[in-house]
Amino acid sequence: MEHIRTPKVEQVRLLDRFSSKSTNGTLYLTATHLIFVESSSNNSTSAGQEIWILHHHIASVEKLSLTTTGCPLVIQCRNFRMVQFVVQRERDCHDIYSSLLRLLRPVCYEELYAFSYNPKQNDQQREEGWQLIDLGAEFERMGVPCDQWQLTDVNRDYKVCETYPRDLYVPITASKPIIVGSSKFRSKGRFPVLTYFYQEKKAAVCRCSQPLSGFSARCLEDESLLQAISKANHNSRFVYVMDTRPKLNALANRAAGKGYENEDNYSNIRFQFVGIENIHVMRTSLQKLLEVIGTRPLSMSDYLVGLESSGWLRHIKAVVDAAIFLTKAVTVEGVSVLVHCSDGWDRTAQVCSLGSLLMDPYYRTIKGFMVLIEKDWISFGHKFADRCDQLDGDPKEVSPIFTQFLECVWQLTEQFPQAFEFSEWFLLQIHEHVHSCQYGNFLGNNQRQREELQLRERTHSLWAFLMSEKQNYLNPFYSPAYSEAHPVLEPSTLPYHFKFWRNMYHQFDRSMHPRQSILKTILTLRENSQKAESTLQALETRLQQLGVTPVATSDPPAAPPTRIQRSNSNTLPPRPDSLILGAPINHKEVQRHEEEDEQEEVGEEAMESTDTERTVEGSSGTDSRKQSYGELEGTYNSDVAKEEPAVVSLEFGVARMTC
Amino acid sequence: MEKQAGAADGAGPNRNPWGSPTNGSGAGDLLIPLLFLSPTGSHVEWCKQLIAATISSQISGSVQPDFVNRDNKVANSSTPIHSHLKDVMYICPFSGLLNGTLTITDYKLYFTSVEKESHFVLDVNLGVISRLETISVPNQGENTKGLELVCKDMRSPRFAYKTDESQPDIVEVLNKHAFPLSHSLPLFAFLYKEQFPVDGWKVFDAAAEYRRQGLPNESWTISKINSTYELCDTYPSILVIPTNITDDDIKRVALFRAKHRIPVLSWIHPESQATIVRCSQPLVGPSDRRCKEDEHFLQIIMDANAQSHKLTIFDARQSSVAITNKAKDGGYESESFYSNVELNFLEIPNIHVMRESLRKMKDVVYPTIDEAHWHSAIDQTHWLEYIRLLLAGAAKIADKLESGKTSVVVHCSDGWDRTAQLTSLAMLMLDSYYRTLRGFQVLVEKEWISFGHKFSARVGHGDENHANSERSPLFIQFIDCVWQMSRQFPAAFEFNELFLITVLDHLYSCLFGTFLYNSEQERMAKEVQAKTVSLWSYINSQPEDFTNPFYVDYENHVLYPLVSSRHLELWTSYYARWNPRMRPQVPVHQTLKEMLILRAELQRRVEELQREASSHSLSSSSEHSPSPTHTTGTPLHTAV
Repeated sequence: MEHIRTPKVEQVRLLDRFSSKSTNGTLYLTATHLIFVESSSNNSTSAGQEIWILHHHIASVEKLSLTTTGCPLVIQCRNFRMVQFVVQRERDCHDIYSSLLRLLRPVCYEELYAFSYNPKQNDQQREEGWQLIDLGAEFERMGVPCDQWQLTDVNRDYKVCETYPRDLYVPITASKPIIVGSSKFRSKGRFPVLTYFYQEKKAAVCRCSQPLSGFSARCLEDESLLQAISKANHNSRFVYVMDTRPKLNALANRAAGKGYENEDNYSNIRFQFVGIENIHVMRTSLQKLLEVIGTRPLSMSDYLVGLESSGWLRHIKAVVDAAIFLTKAVTVEGVSVLVHCSDGWDRTAQVCSLGSLLMDPYYRTIKGFMVLIEKDWISFGHKFADRCDQLDGDPKEVSPIFTQFLECVWQLTEQFPQAFEFSEWFLLQIHEHVHSCQYGNFLGNNQRQREELQLRERTHSLWAFLMSEKQNYLNPFYSPAYSEAHPVLEPSTLPYHFKFWRNMYHQFDRSMHPRQSILKTILTLRENSQKAESTLQALETRLQQLGVTPVATSDPPAAPPTRIQRSNSNTLPPRPDSLILGAPINHKEVQRHEEEDEQEEVGEEAMESTDTERTVEGSSGTDSRKQSYGELEGTYNSDVAKEEPAVVSLEFGVARMTC
Repeated sequence: MEKQAGAADGAGPNRNPWGSPTNGSGAGDLLIPLLFLSPTGSHVEWCKQLIAATISSQISGSVQPDFVNRDNKVANSSTPIHSHLKDVMYICPFSGLLNGTLTITDYKLYFTSVEKESHFVLDVNLGVISRLETISVPNQGENTKGLELVCKDMRSPRFAYKTDESQPDIVEVLNKHAFPLSHSLPLFAFLYKEQFPVDGWKVFDAAAEYRRQGLPNESWTISKINSTYELCDTYPSILVIPTNITDDDIKRVALFRAKHRIPVLSWIHPESQATIVRCSQPLVGPSDRRCKEDEHFLQIIMDANAQSHKLTIFDARQSSVAITNKAKDGGYESESFYSNVELNFLEIPNIHVMRESLRKMKDVVYPTIDEAHWHSAIDQTHWLEYIRLLLAGAAKIADKLESGKTSVVVHCSDGWDRTAQLTSLAMLMLDSYYRTLRGFQVLVEKEWISFGHKFSARVGHGDENHANSERSPLFIQFIDCVWQMSRQFPAAFEFNELFLITVLDHLYSCLFGTFLYNSEQERMAKEVQAKTVSLWSYINSQPEDFTNPFYVDYENHVLYPLVSSRHLELWTSYYARWNPRMRPQVPVHQTLKEMLILRAELQRRVEELQREASSHSLSSSSEHSPSPTHTTGTPLHTAV
């Protein structure tokens, strides 16, 4: 590749972020990845650790000034990986640095990985992948079109609003002139449309952008469109208009000829601010949080105060609060709600999608969650390209809005462990690929752009890939019965229910990984049970073959009580090794880094234990621990380990590609 | 037999702490299912429900009035009701005023709301009351008094009631029964006569525990030198000391150590023979006194471990405090007098700091939570910082033994507070036995109770002097550390969170004799074992309630918890449990228990079939792997 000056540098040291440990290895630069391979000098039994970093994941590269040991290169990734290499020769470091600078700033979409990524699928499979999520079917599932809501073709050619999808749902009574008129009165032409329909109460969740009202402007078409939304719901005589911005921001917008709805002009609306901060505040907040948690010796006080002053969890709470408001209005009061912010593609997407998630158990399933993201985020034009900095764009447009949404969902999964079909892994994996640019789904800013890029023809769909790996993302606690009993979730917003998401922000910091994970224990337990069941069957068959009727002393395994058991009573494909909970780590990385954890805090150098019998968890590692980091393997799943596939994806999910 | 009746009655919809979360109109805090039975016979059941209710904060809407009536009848006939007051208002900090009846017995106070809509019960063990305060109640007319019960368990319920000449003032009644010792009355534990199928006093036998550790051996002996508590009145009668030392030397060492608490063995590493030794500070004083016998004693301790030629002393105190202690005739070991000794200060503040820290914590979590400043408010208490110091200190000790193969001596000032915390936590990390339900009881009995942690003084059982500076939540801090560890290693502990909360509740309740008094000597004198019931009798009679379904016995695993600030959490399900907005736990444990039952069933069936198969002398019997020997936590061997 023309941008790569030095494809390979030897004798590079990788420094650990939270301890004084370092490892030696070789750095390779390919067209798509930066790869660090640890040299396997001292430990002959295992190959060295490998770290694969996709160029698209790199947020920034920094070359620090030369030290006695070499030239440090600091790489920060969008998936919150942070690595520091020390390259011996300054010239090599500079070569890598300047190559990376070019590589991580693609100028056009065609340079993105998705256009070269080939998972060995034929065109038909690719097409099927893209057909997995069908939004038309989703609206049908909600019960739309119906006697009050219809599909409009007004945006068939993206003429009314170029950032909206082609297919839009509006009240039956809203005529085309009304829609067109309303769209002219809304920022970026994003007029009020249906995003979720709560069938039980016939209440609708609609979304739009701010009105161009300034201090006094009115638009009769817009007013009658809101009237039509209100009329479409017989349960209530008014609609809520939720402006998700803080009032101050909305007021400031008014001076710029934008603003918010005046209750006097619109009949039957109730207007409400909910105060979620804008993308710039969110960006700064997350930066602060990352600074705090990136500090190596972090005292309890600095941590707690830093966590609070970053405001990140407060912002998360604000989004959840808004979603709760929306949910209550729709499910309890049966009132339709119109949600907007400024342009209606950031906070609006967060609130609408999170609200739907609280209202509808379907969105808490794996497939449903994909549909939700496809609908509220992708199709309604959340600007993924700008927010995730896919091309070298305006840094002011970059903001972790989608990350924040995923974290809101994670916080809910912590509060309602039985309500979600997917586990934390699913969220982490989606987050990984929003930034990886490996699949076409999140490329570009809106549907129109995606069509122009012919993504369906030239790239693959993430949803199909995730669906094929569905087993990995199942939450063993999930109980459909729970969802039936609690279709609407009512989360608590007490401050201690908002926790720091360690597995997201310390995903790649081994020393921060949990020691043991309940999730893993349960998965193992489940596998064991399934094996036992098949053993049982085999034994019974054998006995029958021998002409012996099995003793009838016991009922057949006490009517498996768990639904989990039922739903996957058949063979479960072996989990990939990287599903060690706590963080996606690869097999090889595992063995090396066992030692480093405790040291930072304890400040003691733990010596290798030579005892074979006593096993140390946490600090010094012994060779007897073959498998995992931070996991007590014990003996109880040793047989599971053997069956695991030899090929292990290196970075969880980012498939290996050689060039 | 009341017990059994209790169990039967208790099998109602709310018996299971994680039962179905069908909570009704969430009016108020602590709505406890009205399933209690006789206050004496079923305290246990009752307590359990209290805990269950607080853990799940589940509210049962439907209550049969029969229960209440019958309960009162039984109560009348068995425990004396000292006060039964109608028209009392409970000033709920969460949902306003509630009208009801207040009943006070020897052991508890309970308030039942008479309002039809939401049946509500608040009950408070009298033992948990730290002080009674009169408060002003505006707008309730004359003759109305206000009363606040400041409790040791992070709550302070308030009541308003009308004074009535014909009845004794409830403050007096409460004072008398909440603080029996101050009124020359016996603690309730001495009146409590529940029979349990298991005798908890048999859980701990010092000699047996030392035998389990492989003692005595050639270097260490189980000594009866303190059998009459003459050598040290706060130590247990059975001590493990080095073999090669004379009684005279020991007596001299005793004179050189604060409160005569000489260095004795707490735990020995099964392989390296490195030991954890505990004691009090040496009485070095301002003039740097030396004691040849003490120096020799530590030398012998070091020599008893052939693997290392060093000895590490962990002084739990802040180094500055240790230095000031020299002026008060205390001090620390000088590295120049003790050869090959390395001295480390763990910089843990004293009991007064800890008391203050928890007091601040109470303000943070009760009654209302300042949402905007939650984290900084927690920071201000420094509670988590101290938890971290303790865990880090214990991890250092454990690491010294495990990796360094070096014996350690742990002390603070008197060697009964921070020393107990550190040695017991280190032992919990090093020895998987202590992570079992039974082993943990042994650990508490040994390191805390028998070695003279002054429970009576630190908790203030039955004593009205709430301002006593001897009080301090050191044991709570220890349990918090255990909870932190169990969070990080969810499968390594046999007991669950309910167990830890139950232990803490009965630390105050005075229902059981386990935590009463300051030392073994005092307990012997008061015949605690003969006259009271052990908490472990109750626990071990229904171990299934306190068992962690995830538990896998990681024998010979040493656990080092992560002590970084990102890994420690406030134990809200204990500290903030009175907050009604505390989210009910989703019954995940239920799912798990079902899975475990299923697994046990499958396992049994597999074994059965295998037996049968082999009894039919199948030619292929060798293909079957042997049936699992270990029933808990071992895998099912697949044999197909």
